[in-house]
Amino acid sequence: MGTSNLQIIQSVGIDIGTSTTQFVVSRLTVKNVAPGSLVPRFAITDKEVTYKSDIHFTPIDSNNRVDADKIFALIRSEFNRAGVSPETIDTGAVIITGETAKKENARSISAKVAGFAGDFVVATAGGKLESIIAGKGSGASDLSRRDYTTVANIDIGGGTANVGIFKNGKALDSCCINVGGRLLQVDQATGRVIAVSEPMKSILDDCDLGLAVGDLVTLEILGRICRRMSMVILECLGTGQLSPLAEQLLMTAPLRLDYDIDTVMVSGGVADHVYAPCPSMTLAHATQYGDIGPLFGMELANLFQARTVPMARPTETIRATVIGAGAQTVDVSGSTILADDEVLPFKNVPVAIPFSDTIPRDETTIAKGVTRSIENFYEKDSLDKIAIGLTGTQYLSFKEIQVLARGLLKGLAPIIQAGFPVIIVLEADIGKVLGQSMKAINSRMNIVCVDQLLVTEGDYVDIGKSIAGGTVVPVVIKSLVFETKQI
Amino acid sequence: MDNQIEKDIVESVLAKLLEQGILNPSAKPTQEAANQNTMDTDCEPVTLEPMDFIGVENPHNPEALKMMRKSTPARILMGRAGARQRTASLLNFQADHAAAVDAVFKDVSDAFLAEHNLFKVKTIVKDKDEYLMKPELGKKLSEETKREILDKGEKGKQVQIIVVDGLSSTSIEANIADVMPALIQGLETQGITVAKPFFIQYGRVGVMDDVAPLVACDVIVEFIGERPGLITADSMSAYMAYRPDHNTVEAERTVISNIHRGGTPPAEAGAHLATVVKKMIDNKVSGVKLAELMR
Repeated sequence: MGTSNLQIIQSVGIDIGTSTTQFVVSRLTVKNVAPGSLVPRFAITDKEVTYKSDIHFTPIDSNNRVDADKIFALIRSEFNRAGVSPETIDTGAVIITGETAKKENARSISAKVAGFAGDFVVATAGGKLESIIAGKGSGASDLSRRDYTTVANIDIGGGTANVGIFKNGKALDSCCINVGGRLLQVDQATGRVIAVSEPMKSILDDCDLGLAVGDLVTLEILGRICRRMSMVILECLGTGQLSPLAEQLLMTAPLRLDYDIDTVMVSGGVADHVYAPCPSMTLAHATQYGDIGPLFGMELANLFQARTVPMARPTETIRATVIGAGAQTVDVSGSTILADDEVLPFKNVPVAIPFSDTIPRDETTIAKGVTRSIENFYEKDSLDKIAIGLTGTQYLSFKEIQVLARGLLKGLAPIIQAGFPVIIVLEADIGKVLGQSMKAINSRMNIVCVDQLLVTEGDYVDIGKSIAGGTVVPVVIKSLVFETKQI
Repeated sequence: MDNQIEKDIVESVLAKLLEQGILNPSAKPTQEAANQNTMDTDCEPVTLEPMDFIGVENPHNPEALKMMRKSTPARILMGRAGARQRTASLLNFQADHAAAVDAVFKDVSDAFLAEHNLFKVKTIVKDKDEYLMKPELGKKLSEETKREILDKGEKGKQVQIIVVDGLSSTSIEANIADVMPALIQGLETQGITVAKPFFIQYGRVGVMDDVAPLVACDVIVEFIGERPGLITADSMSAYMAYRPDHNTVEAERTVISNIHRGGTPPAEAGAHLATVVKKMIDNKVSGVKLAELMR
């Protein structure tokens, strides 16, 4: 088992959105960044997008569901055009976003696509995670780290606007609002309404507009709709009170707003029209994609300008989410860990946090806490894989680590007896010594004990097979899958 | 950190006394005044400013400064008094320098050695002054010492652990309790045999070249105190070599440095060292050659 100093992982990102479906392949360089005499520390040092697909319309079948066959055909052809085969993909993410995530077959499709695209490609959906992925892909996360500021990224697609708040490079908060450029479809040639989505009906009611399929529209009417949607976004960012409409359109809890936003960034398909506004927009121009996306972008830019909202440009607009999914979802664990490769990879393992504050110092209390936290997830007779998350960076002596190892194994006894591996996710850099301590007690069980990762209750974790000669494992930490409320 | 705790305790006691009317409110000393007093008199210890203090006046983005301060133990954002550093910065600097000097001149205590079941031998060095002035002597053991090691130690095990004071006795006392048992546990679970560890006073890294042939081990792991700096006096290194002897050159040694609470945590370092030692035994090499194999 060599500790190679440099390893390339190939990652795929697939974003199946309300209006568009995209595909990217990227190369992530994982490298030992510690000087020679130190314990190795592997980190992702470079992220290069090697292939970007065209932007395809998301295929929808006659039952208004995602057309699974067409999606598969599309992804297969994109793999071909990229010149890579799914077998060579190490990691990545498939994300179903916006209105598409509400389709009844969304879940099964994302899982199938992920299975097809590679062993360790994760399937995700849900407003919260999408917001964070988009903000990483747009460069908002990096900007907040570079400038030590708080940046709000608003990724506006066809169906939803995902707001992610980043402070010093870390995701702080997020929300998902059901406004987007394709909630109303308008035929460019005739200027007539083709489709009105459910959330658009609420917006129309609020504007006292009774538009229905077949009606003729004017630029003025569409402008009113877009101004109202822009205002909803501004309300959600903390300008004034949340209107009843905004409350209705919020698909997640509103932002906590216990922080000040320094800069706002807009990504997503609508963003191109925010940063390149067209002052004399015609109806034909506004409906060039058969929807109201361009006009929405322009009205949002006007509103932000009028309210002197400080704006920054994203590094990616329409591709922010897919690049985030392809290059930013995977992380690497600490470099001194213990992971039995034969039980890896695994996906969607729920994380239980037995101790909210500090880790207790005696075996029995630790065991009880672990047992209780498992019972919150599973009935006694239907156990499944579970990861125990231990947060905090308190210093633990070797003796305290021994106590912790014994307490954990005692608390995890039912899980071990049921034949599941011991999975521990630590924040403090003690993964290897804790893993070895557990192995010393019982050498027969499988252990995955990884460190330098911060998890919270309700997260799901995916852990891949080790790389760099068994030194680190790729990890994806996800907030609740499919948690978005349906309206 | 401790200073902050101390301040908090003093403040809470003062508040309690005021509350109970034992202390006259008009005589309530402010923190600044208390600091002033201790600086004027030599009999009381000076309370040092916490190291995470940010001395920059009227910062544009204080949050950013806090993040920068957290990102490094270096003395940044200390603020200034005119063109010079502030008194508090100077005092911290002097205190850390004093701790570094102490780490070099203090000895590892007998109580510590007894607690960790380490027997003690010496190199041919007579005292600390000679140790510091003649580094070569810190690499040699007398015939008598060699006999003592064979007498009290164990021969023919795969791994010999030695603990050496080097340039920081403080670091030995700070880290051995956590690093050594973690290393031994890691080695034993891999089925590797370990000889009884012992302590060498007035030792340099090269002393392993005398020890290894004597006890006939495959790999020697030498814990040795690093030359202390102003960041910490508690940092320790682990030098390792595969069957070192008098022909060994420095390139044949492997080192893991910066083992201390603020660097690589000692228990985790011990676990990692067990993996490194296993690689040495499997490949029968150490140092640069081992690093090449790992590439």
